[in-house]
Amino acid sequence: MKEDVIIFDASVFSIDTVKRALYRFADKCSFDIQLKDNEITVKIHTDSSDDMVARIKNEVLDQDLRDTLAKETANIRTLILANAFSNTGLIQ
Amino acid sequence: MALLGKKFKLLEVFDQATNGQYQLLPSRFAALDDGRYLLSNEVGEYLVVTRPDLESFIRKQVPANTDFYHDLKSKHFLFDDDSNVALDLLALKYRTKAQRISQFTALHIFVISLRCDYTCQYCQVSRQTDDKHAFDMSEETANKALDLVFKSPSPAIKIEFQGGEPLLNFALIQYVVNEANRRNEKHQKDLQFVITTNLSLLNQEVLEFCQAHDIHLSTSLDGPENLHNTNRPRPGKNGYQLTVNGIKKAQSFLGHNKIGALMTTTEKSLPHVKSIIDTYLENNLDCIFLRPLSPYGFAIKNQQAHKYDVDRWFEFYKEGLDYVLEINRQGYQFVELYTQLIINKLLSPFSEGYVDLQSPTGAAISAIVYNYDGDVYASDEARMLAEMGNKKFRLGNVHTDDYEGIWLSDTLLDTLECSLSESIPMCNDCGFLPYCGTDPVYHYATQGDVVGHKALSGFCNKNMKIFKHIIHLLEDDPEARKILLTWVRT
Ligand code: SF4
Repeated sequence: MKEDVIIFDASVFSIDTVKRALYRFADKCSFDIQLKDNEITVKIHTDSSDDMVARIKNEVLDQDLRDTLAKETANIRTLILANAFSNTGLIQ
Repeated sequence: MALLGKKFKLLEVFDQATNGQYQLLPSRFAALDDGRYLLSNEVGEYLVVTRPDLESFIRKQVPANTDFYHDLKSKHFLFDDDSNVALDLLALKYRTKAQRISQFTALHIFVISLRCDYTCQYCQVSRQTDDKHAFDMSEETANKALDLVFKSPSPAIKIEFQGGEPLLNFALIQYVVNEANRRNEKHQKDLQFVITTNLSLLNQEVLEFCQAHDIHLSTSLDGPENLHNTNRPRPGKNGYQLTVNGIKKAQSFLGHNKIGALMTTTEKSLPHVKSIIDTYLENNLDCIFLRPLSPYGFAIKNQQAHKYDVDRWFEFYKEGLDYVLEINRQGYQFVELYTQLIINKLLSPFSEGYVDLQSPTGAAISAIVYNYDGDVYASDEARMLAEMGNKKFRLGNVHTDDYEGIWLSDTLLDTLECSLSESIPMCNDCGFLPYCGTDPVYHYATQGDVVGHKALSGFCNKNMKIFKHIIHLLEDDPEARKILLTWVRT
């Protein structure tokens, strides 16, 4: 079992973003997460021989983009859905 | 609806768009294997982009008048002051995709008898007995099931006879077909019948009945003689011969397109994908469905499902698809159905009716199972789970529950709700979501939870691998792309 630590700046990445990224590695790692002094500290426990630190860092960047995309388009998404289902009797 | 509408400051949103800057439309992305990303929107339009392009798109830094900007705009990933109409168009496309939900159940499976002359090790449900009454469906049960069938609002209805071996109870098939046709004089639905059979009992009487009522046959062919007979043992060890003879007879009597075959993949199949495909070609079948091994029923008890993992199955699939493409290159049209299904999802706005790949789950929305004893299940897998003693997905019984009781059962509503992939962690922002689905019964069987953790899910792992591979073929292999495009149904 290997152990590694990554520290994220909490003013750059939200803790939700980091958690959502880590969720994707549940098959390969387990994690301890701590938020202190504007730092998110992630302790990684893994048996995998892959470079998990690099993969997780990339995934956090991706997840950050995903969260931006989701936030920016949340209203419009609901609007399109409401429009799509109007007159179908599925929404009252 | 009215409430939803009021929440939006529509004009402001549109005003922002006129500032010379673009607005993002809802989309998701997923990493492909080579550093590129698949960017897809709500209705399944997609672009393959690099990481820097993806980032500049989301940060709204793509300069207008570039090709990339034009692609993003025409595929509905952004809108600007002269494309506000995009919203209506997207809504229309989404509605087309969602039509399946409002049309409701189109496939009704009747489990005519659990009895079977085979003893397939992976079979979840069959019984070896001569006691006709214990495991055959009765006319009374069939009538009650037909009551439910004709309450479905779907304009097209397919009734599929399954087993065990349904031809062991052929009299009931005849009864159901005649009775359904009689009732349909009033309902005027587009009604179709399929018998799923091992063909051992295919005789002149059955063939003539199928011809008279335009009934399709679907059989099982696992590959060359050796493999087929090992997978599907039968007293006399002549299963393969019976099956291919039956296929020939049906092809010449009913017509080439009236019989299809399905294969089951077992661990023994894995090294033989080419000879499996050859067997299909030799028997004049023009398509194959390279299926994963089901994790249900006896398959779980036998630990079969665990013997090989998704990665090994995927190698089998990939080798098979390569071979199928090679066959097409030589001028023979031969289709792999799983790939065809996904190609259609990627390239056509019309949702397909394959239960495994739908969100919300196709269970009970596009298929429902009436068991021999009248129990109603949300899908074929649900009844297999039930045969193992877990009736979690039983919706009711035709003798005791009415239409509303079954359709509004907590089991069904809960399952549907949990299975909207739009709300499942990991799926909710996955670029493959428009082409993927949920499989609550699978996740329940393997993880004890209908949603399941997708990072641990064989279903997710398998689908991601297939999506990536097919997109890679479409993007990077012009010859393969040409062939795959001919598989799109119009
Ligand atoms: S199951 Fe996997 S591939 Fe499918 S939408 Fe969910 S995360 Fe994406």
